[in-house]
Amino acid sequence: MMDYIALVILGCTIVTFIPRLIPALFIDKLNFPPKAEKFLNLIPYTALAALICPGVLTVDNQLWYIGLIGAVVAAGLAWKKVPLGAIVILTVVVLISVYSIVPLF
Amino acid sequence: MSRKEKFIEGAKKGIPITFGYVPMGIGYAAIAIKAGMTPLETISMSFLVYAGAGQIIAASMVLSGATAMAIILTNFVVNLRYFVMSTCVLNQVEESNLPLNILAAHVTVDESFAMFSLSEDSSIWVYLGIAITAWLSWCLGAGIGVVILDLLPVIVTNSFNISLYALFVAILIPAIKESKQIALLVLITAVLNVVLGQFLGNWSLIVSTLVGAAVGMYIVDDEYVLGSDE
Repeated sequence: MMDYIALVILGCTIVTFIPRLIPALFIDKLNFPPKAEKFLNLIPYTALAALICPGVLTVDNQLWYIGLIGAVVAAGLAWKKVPLGAIVILTVVVLISVYSIVPLF
Repeated sequence: MSRKEKFIEGAKKGIPITFGYVPMGIGYAAIAIKAGMTPLETISMSFLVYAGAGQIIAASMVLSGATAMAIILTNFVVNLRYFVMSTCVLNQVEESNLPLNILAAHVTVDESFAMFSLSEDSSIWVYLGIAITAWLSWCLGAGIGVVILDLLPVIVTNSFNISLYALFVAILIPAIKESKQIALLVLITAVLNVVLGQFLGNWSLIVSTLVGAAVGMYIVDDEYVLGSDE
């Protein structure tokens, strides 16, 4: 019987690598019907939506609004076209600041 | 330009990604260690799986005691998008061969794909420069995380947990800004996931991602879909 964590890592490695690998093997032969391509192209949006909501509210298990504040800050910065790396750093900095003032209330 | 110069040019372009990936990697390590994974397991997963969201979800599911099968299947669906991204990248590159394509496929993630797709470059070496820089910084983040986790105040590691979500939001916002249809689809999928979560637990992410994409077939015009202009 394989160790639980080792099984998780091995399994995730395989199922993550195969979708990446298939285009490398068949890139010259692949030709999707447009509908299948559209479906696959929509996955990033729906996956991100499902990843963010409600997961972002559990960034801190005790304080649900911490994640919400972070999401709103990141969204605001992205709306203003701040570069990706800077958005991440600034959002983390804002949250550290929020954590610093929470005990005051 | 020589291959080496192109690779270095790509690596320089990849530097902004590392600003996000190192803290994100530390945030991931915090969850993985909390879930009872060893430092070696934590770093190996970053090296082998290399999927930001997939890894955070896997570690969170380990923490909540999900079965290995549920975790692996969730990862499969969450990471299925790499199929599309890998296809786009490999369509774009020139002067490549099978071993390089396989390496490029493994290091394809949202950010390396997005950065390369939006550039004029078509060299496999530029792409590998961008993507390997990002990959190593993600592993470096996990490595730093398992070493300094005990030294960091809890408020800092807790704050790092937001970095992945900040990146998700930052990737989604431009698409939402550009298209009300995408914005609607994102809203529908988010609500669907919250509702289905009450009944399906860990499985709702898979189901709402696929059902959301199916709904999107009808409510999103072809012109707003990523990659459809190619």
